[in-house]
Amino acid sequence: MLEKIFFGSKKEQNVIEKIKKHIQILHDAAHCFKKAIEEQDKEQLYCVSDLEREADSIRREIISMIYEGAFLPYLRSNLCRFVEIVEKAFDLLKDAASEFENMGQELDQEIEEECIKVADRNMKMIDMLLIAFETLFGKGDLRDKTLAIRIFEKQVDEIKFDLIKKLTGKEVRNFWHGKMLSDFVTSLTEISNVIEDASDYLIIIKVSLR
Amino acid sequence: MKIVEIMTKKLETIEADAPIYDAIEKMIDRRIRSLLIKPTDERDVYGVITVRDIVNKALAKNLDLNKTKVNEVTSKPLVCVDKGMDIDHAITLMNKFNISRVFVNDGKEIIGIISLLDVLSAELIKRAREGHRA
Repeated sequence: MLEKIFFGSKKEQNVIEKIKKHIQILHDAAHCFKKAIEEQDKEQLYCVSDLEREADSIRREIISMIYEGAFLPYLRSNLCRFVEIVEKAFDLLKDAASEFENMGQELDQEIEEECIKVADRNMKMIDMLLIAFETLFGKGDLRDKTLAIRIFEKQVDEIKFDLIKKLTGKEVRNFWHGKMLSDFVTSLTEISNVIEDASDYLIIIKVSLR
Repeated sequence: MKIVEIMTKKLETIEADAPIYDAIEKMIDRRIRSLLIKPTDERDVYGVITVRDIVNKALAKNLDLNKTKVNEVTSKPLVCVDKGMDIDHAITLMNKFNISRVFVNDGKEIIGIISLLDVLSAELIKRAREGHRA
């Protein structure tokens, strides 16, 4: 009965489907990014900015639909905030792609394995975020999903520690090369923090539904 | 789930004749709880020194950490699983020998390590995924 009141109408269902689509596009972009750095093929990075544009337009649609009357007013700001956090992850992925492209050479072999691992964990976290979002409006325990996201985040933290250790012992050719590399690693490893924030927000939404 | 999917490839080693203090420094520095000791000759086998070995066999006995060698507190031989085996096999070995990590081998070579936390994390992620697409 409550489910029907909170998200049963067509307006609400449309918003839920759009948010799922938004997260799915982020997942596709993360997959594309991982493939590009695995194959050291910068040409493939165009899909990240293409998908970012698509996601941006979906985000605008979601916000409009919510403020046109989908969901009870007290839920709207939380849902909008969730969508904005997902968008922030997209921005970081786009930054990482652009920094990778601008580095002007192949990724250093010393850090390549760790960077691919982080890209892989980011992708898996986004997939789990989508599962968590589906659980919020369906059946299953949200805590299981958010715990899995926290485990992935912890793994990224560990890899980041190794990456920074390797980077600090590395000779930098010039200021811009060092800056690009540092920005690339920062953007790449920050995505997991943002996904974790988004999953925390799902818990807030769940609590606000009680 | 296969062992190779969750194992950590980051293996840190230390010489058998290094002082225990060096092992402690390395563990703290790298944020790890065990170090692999490579065989010293053809007849020797791989060994491991863990935080538990240091606490129980050195600190508890008040040994001088700068003078006591790693090989005096090393556990040998290693408990290993083949990379192609299932995680359940690793859990069985951890239970049987009351240990918190097993090493992963590919033939004669040690290629990774699995800890209890790795097993727990993999199991929790698997459960969170249950009933959803792969």
